[in-house]
Amino acid sequence: MVTQTEKLNSLITDYFEKEQKLGAQLPEWMKELRQQGLSRFNELGIPTIKNEEWKYTNLSSLAERKFYIPEPQPFKELGELHEYLDPAEINVVFVNGDFHPKLSNLTDLPKGVSIVNLTTASAPGIQPFETHIREYQQKFSDPFAALNDAITHGGVLVKIDEKTVLKRLIHIVHVTCVPKENAILSPRTLIVLGKSAQAEVLETYMSCTPVGYFTNALTDIFLEENSVLRYTKAQNEGRQAYHIGTTRIFQKRDSLSENFSMTTGGMLTRNNLMIILENSGANTFLNGLYAVQGEQHVDNHTCVDHQAPNATSNQYYKGILNGNSHAVFNGKIFVKRIAQQTNSYQLNKNLLLGKGARVDTKPQLEIFADDVKCTHGATIGQLNEDELFYLETRGIHRELAVRMLCRGFVDDILNRISNPSVVAKLNKMLAPSFETFK
Amino acid sequence: MLAIKNLHAEINGTPIIKGMNLTINPGEIHAIMGPNGSGKSTLAKIIAGHPDYQVTEGSIEYEVNFKKINLLELQPEERAREGIFLAFQYPVEIPGVNTSVFLRAAFNAICRHQGAEEMDPIEFDEYLKSKMKFLDMDEKCLNRPVNVDFSGGEKKRNEILQMAVLNPRLAVLDETDSGLDIDSLRVVADGVNRLKRKDNAILVITHYQRLLNYIVPDFVHILIDGKIVRSEGKELALKVEEKGYDWLAQ
Ligand SMILES: Nc1ncnc2c1ncn2[C@@H]1O[C@H](COP(=O)(O)OP(=O)(O)O)[C@@H](O)[C@H]1O
Ligand SMILES: [Mg+2]
Repeated sequence: MVTQTEKLNSLITDYFEKEQKLGAQLPEWMKELRQQGLSRFNELGIPTIKNEEWKYTNLSSLAERKFYIPEPQPFKELGELHEYLDPAEINVVFVNGDFHPKLSNLTDLPKGVSIVNLTTASAPGIQPFETHIREYQQKFSDPFAALNDAITHGGVLVKIDEKTVLKRLIHIVHVTCVPKENAILSPRTLIVLGKSAQAEVLETYMSCTPVGYFTNALTDIFLEENSVLRYTKAQNEGRQAYHIGTTRIFQKRDSLSENFSMTTGGMLTRNNLMIILENSGANTFLNGLYAVQGEQHVDNHTCVDHQAPNATSNQYYKGILNGNSHAVFNGKIFVKRIAQQTNSYQLNKNLLLGKGARVDTKPQLEIFADDVKCTHGATIGQLNEDELFYLETRGIHRELAVRMLCRGFVDDILNRISNPSVVAKLNKMLAPSFETFK
Repeated sequence: MLAIKNLHAEINGTPIIKGMNLTINPGEIHAIMGPNGSGKSTLAKIIAGHPDYQVTEGSIEYEVNFKKINLLELQPEERAREGIFLAFQYPVEIPGVNTSVFLRAAFNAICRHQGAEEMDPIEFDEYLKSKMKFLDMDEKCLNRPVNVDFSGGEKKRNEILQMAVLNPRLAVLDETDSGLDIDSLRVVADGVNRLKRKDNAILVITHYQRLLNYIVPDFVHILIDGKIVRSEGKELALKVEEKGYDWLAQ
């Protein structure tokens, strides 16, 4: 047992002690999950840049740290969180990686909608999904999903029943408020949409203490036949935070997912977004925006796994890089031999504002079917001087001219989100970045 | 109002303007004609403050409210705020920037500088529509990105709309007539003439005499190879139309 936890013990100082304390009362399926996660993480460890998947994102500073698992906190002060919480929406609040029902408003959920702690959810209701994920996970060597499994002691299950069309936004807010640095947080969310169900979810990450910590988030999503999910992730954590987030979306026949991923915060961010199109007629949109500055590093790894014919995926990521920031975009498109008539598009556009800013962008196509439409492209450029001059000759100060052009660049992608409340929240998070543009 | 003295300018080390003198007084309309490549647009951009051109010799003095300003020291936006306007030969398309938002930002920037009241979006909308009426412009343009998917004629009208909105003291119109059919030309020229006052001035740059039938200049200057080779009254434009530029080239 001790040798098995070797890698975890060197990363997390109090793992063994916490494991005993937190693990004891958990349901059997979760204990099993933790065991599997533990041994998987011990096999894999923290990847280095020699690993092709991590070539441009160096985790050596993370690997050197010693993290601790924070105690569950009686957190009452919402502070600036209030600005983001709209009582008309369904708010699901996590504090320091743990689901916090008291801060959430789940009292009058519409019919067909349930939101509960994963530990209290009925095991038979969850197990098929967990088993499905585990089988899929075997194919990949994803140490951070395994790490989340190993540490998890709760999380949230969001379940939308068959044919339920939920109009209210579900806003899952992750707040980090830790007393001292080097906490490791492992929030976990499972979202299941039944046949022909529809919902919109926004997942926001933010922090109220400017210390270094590590969020290792995991969100798994199942979309049954004909269901529709709009899912936005907004990472606006403090500038000392490590954020590694994995989102996996399993889609059945004729389902649709419209995804948006925005990164403004964090010192080092890695967003893994995997979409698995399991049956024909499944469609997905992956849109994203990153606006980073200073020494920030943001890495978006998307992977669309076309397993069945007649499915489409459409990716469009844009980034503005100020200061010495560094962005990575890696878009993997995998088309199985039987996945004929796949349509897959990918575009990544980068605007470099800072002299020291840098982008590594690359598509990664693995196509085994022959009747496939697949296009990809990437651009890295600066603001257009002719456009700036034109605006300046109209009396517009250069700084404002720069912001107007950046606004246009950003709106082009934000306009793809149809919910004005989501757009407003994202714009609020973007505002401090805009102030640095000149 | 504007005094250009012995101006020499180059781009990337290539001299383009080679000793130019020009004086424009309030209330006057000046025309500059000249063959392609003679430096007309270069002059226009230098007046507006384009950063790519280096002035190597000479000066441009601009007089506003009895105050003389060394124009070459000002940033492009400062020149605009002092009342200088350039209608571009090739108006720039700006994807992502909404035309009415752009126009209001420009208008308010200049108002703020000149100590006039800024307008809120509703007031500005009224103001804008009143200016658009006599330019016979489609209001739909306002909700589109600046100049994007505008026809050639719409782009030129949009330049004059900006002139109407910003109400400059010195307007430089660079080939505003090119690409316009005769009806559009009349509308645009009529728009410019309405904006003419005793205390402002216009510098019309054109390749053809045609426009000068509608915007009648007080002086016509011929620019060849970066120098003004002749300055006369409006009849000079007709002579050029008839005989070309070769006889002036000596
Ligand atoms: N970026 C540049 N680099 C070098 N030469 C240029 C550049 N832009 C313009 N020129 C040259 O400057 C000269 C004047 O151009 P321009 O002012 O546009 O002429 P006009 O408007 O009279 O037709 C032309 O010979 C042109 O080739
Ligand atoms: Mg020209």
